Amino acid sequence: MALKIDTRKSEGVTIMSCHGRIVFGEEATALRENLKKVLSSTRQVVLNLAGVNYIDSGGLGTLVGVYSSARASGAEIKLTGLGQRLRDVLQITKLVTVFEVYDTEQEAIATFHRGAA
Amino acid sequence: MAFQTIVGPSSGTGSGVFPTLVFVQGNEQRVINLDHSPFGVGRKVDKDLVIADPRVSRDHALIVSENGVFSVVDQGSKHGTFVNGERVERKTLERNDRLEFGVREVAYVIFNPQHGTTNSAREFLSQISGMHISDETTDLEKLVLFLEAARKLNTIGVLDEILMTLLDVTLKLTRAERAYVYMKNAHGELRLAAGRNAKGEPLLDDKTISHSILEDALKSNSEFVLTDTSRSVDLTGRKSIVAYDLRTVICVPLRKPQVHATRDAEAPAGAMSAEVMGALYVDSRFASRDISGVSNDILHAIATEAASLIENARLVQAEEAGRRYQQELSIAASIQQRLMAVTIPEVPFAKLAGRNLSCKEIGGDFFDAVNTEEGLTIVLADVSGKGVSAALLASTLQGMIYSQLTAGMPLTDIVTAVNRFFTDKNIGEKYATVIIARVQNNGDVEYVNCGHILPLIVSNGEVQRPAQGNLPVGLLPDAKYQSDHCRLKPGDRLVLVTDGVTEAENARGDFFEDSRLEQAAISGTLEKIFIAISDFCGGTPLNDDCTIVELMYTG
Repeated sequence: MALKIDTRKSEGVTIMSCHGRIVFGEEATALRENLKKVLSSTRQVVLNLAGVNYIDSGGLGTLVGVYSSARASGAEIKLTGLGQRLRDVLQITKLVTVFEVYDTEQEAIATFHRGAA
Repeated sequence: MAFQTIVGPSSGTGSGVFPTLVFVQGNEQRVINLDHSPFGVGRKVDKDLVIADPRVSRDHALIVSENGVFSVVDQGSKHGTFVNGERVERKTLERNDRLEFGVREVAYVIFNPQHGTTNSAREFLSQISGMHISDETTDLEKLVLFLEAARKLNTIGVLDEILMTLLDVTLKLTRAERAYVYMKNAHGELRLAAGRNAKGEPLLDDKTISHSILEDALKSNSEFVLTDTSRSVDLTGRKSIVAYDLRTVICVPLRKPQVHATRDAEAPAGAMSAEVMGALYVDSRFASRDISGVSNDILHAIATEAASLIENARLVQAEEAGRRYQQELSIAASIQQRLMAVTIPEVPFAKLAGRNLSCKEIGGDFFDAVNTEEGLTIVLADVSGKGVSAALLASTLQGMIYSQLTAGMPLTDIVTAVNRFFTDKNIGEKYATVIIARVQNNGDVEYVNCGHILPLIVSNGEVQRPAQGNLPVGLLPDAKYQSDHCRLKPGDRLVLVTDGVTEAENARGDFFEDSRLEQAAISGTLEKIFIAISDFCGGTPLNDDCTIVELMYTG
């Protein structure tokens, strides 16, 4: 399994750090399951993808899927740590317009504290 | 006896070797296990075999078993019961007898029809035993020979045959009166799979066996449990032993052969895991022989060999199922190939070429081209994921787009409609990136790009990347789509690729990427680009489908 996920809490926000590849199969499933679990107890999640060097169409689908269900239940997922490759993918697929992307974890956490708009 | 194996799926049936009835009515044919007696036939809905015809009496007949012999007994029916065309009141049944109840020809039952391989295993084994076994051969050696031969037979073997052979051999060697084999079903419950007595008759029910001893044996860690009730054993709670005068009961739990991933020097050959997949039960009464002296070696051999035997038979069944699945898959793949076959339209102002390189038999990429009044439209799409699920959606997507193109729908309407379809149907996390480009004879191109790799326009040795983009289709229900325009001059080439191209990897983990793609596109046409990709990858196989579509505008 080429994906590792660490979860921790900081200032009331849950931060999930991913390392490896988010691809169709075990990895995408792991991401989905972990996020589901986390979302059952919190509404504020920052997904740090600094350690992710590759995401394929399946992984992207899972990312969007989780994002949508989070929003549907009143929770929010913000992204940070995007490398160039990930940025390119989100750019081409225009998902940059959908996700909230921040340069650092701190910035992402801060937007939660400023209160949901 | 080191048995290298992989764990196969659990076999759900274990129907046991009960006689079967094949019921034929019109076009319908059904196989029914004759697993209890009496077995009722009639028009009433609660019958074991319901024949819905007014000429069949409500309680028409019974099939009964006495001492392993089956008979059909007419219950005073109006139109009679027939065996092989002859009207009967009561008749014993033999293999392949044809039974008719009240009606002739339209519905009938074949009793215990002969299968091609029935008895072949036992016949073969008795041939072997005849050939190799001399008087000096001990019982144990005979058992091992039988079971090894049976294991080899498993290339054509049927689980039921193996079970019966096992019971025969066990009875012969322990000289017990009755033997039963139980198998765990998919839910982990122990179910009677087959039973046989020393006379060779099948035993259909196990009401008189000691279930309590069987349960104890399964819970224990022992290889086998032998209970000799004549030796002042506490019989509280052992109802069957008392009631049916059972003297000796032997239970052998059948444990799954150990899974060896590698040849492990420490693991003993033929080692058993703790997982119980069934049990062998053997007993005899006070009135018959004393079997308590049966050799421990024999029981040990049964315990180890039997489990391997059964597991092997299961694996063969699983392999057969796997083979059938593979066949289905290749049929699906060939259907998909035909659906995806593109007839390149001939137009005076452009030359079109497209090629797809699939990394599996069945894939999620497709391209298409349609020539209408509105222009020459080319489509390239990539459904997320891989394999059968992606292929299924790709074909659906292709159909939707093709039909809307021939109907002359505007490009943005088409992708909006596709997006609605995908998101409404709630397929899950499936989506597709799509690019559609419509070329006019004056070189004007309208394109709508839904999350796809940017198209390339190769013009005068330079590459432009028209950058208008939208979300992929199928991701978000309220996505809005916009198109844009660009222009082709005579000699320009419009190249569309899927991300299998830019994400093609070489052994070092580098990706082909846009820069190499642009270089390759400048230097040559479609074929050249494919060659560049394969040179770059070296021996590393593709991990995603690669499709390239190229339109050369001649004007």
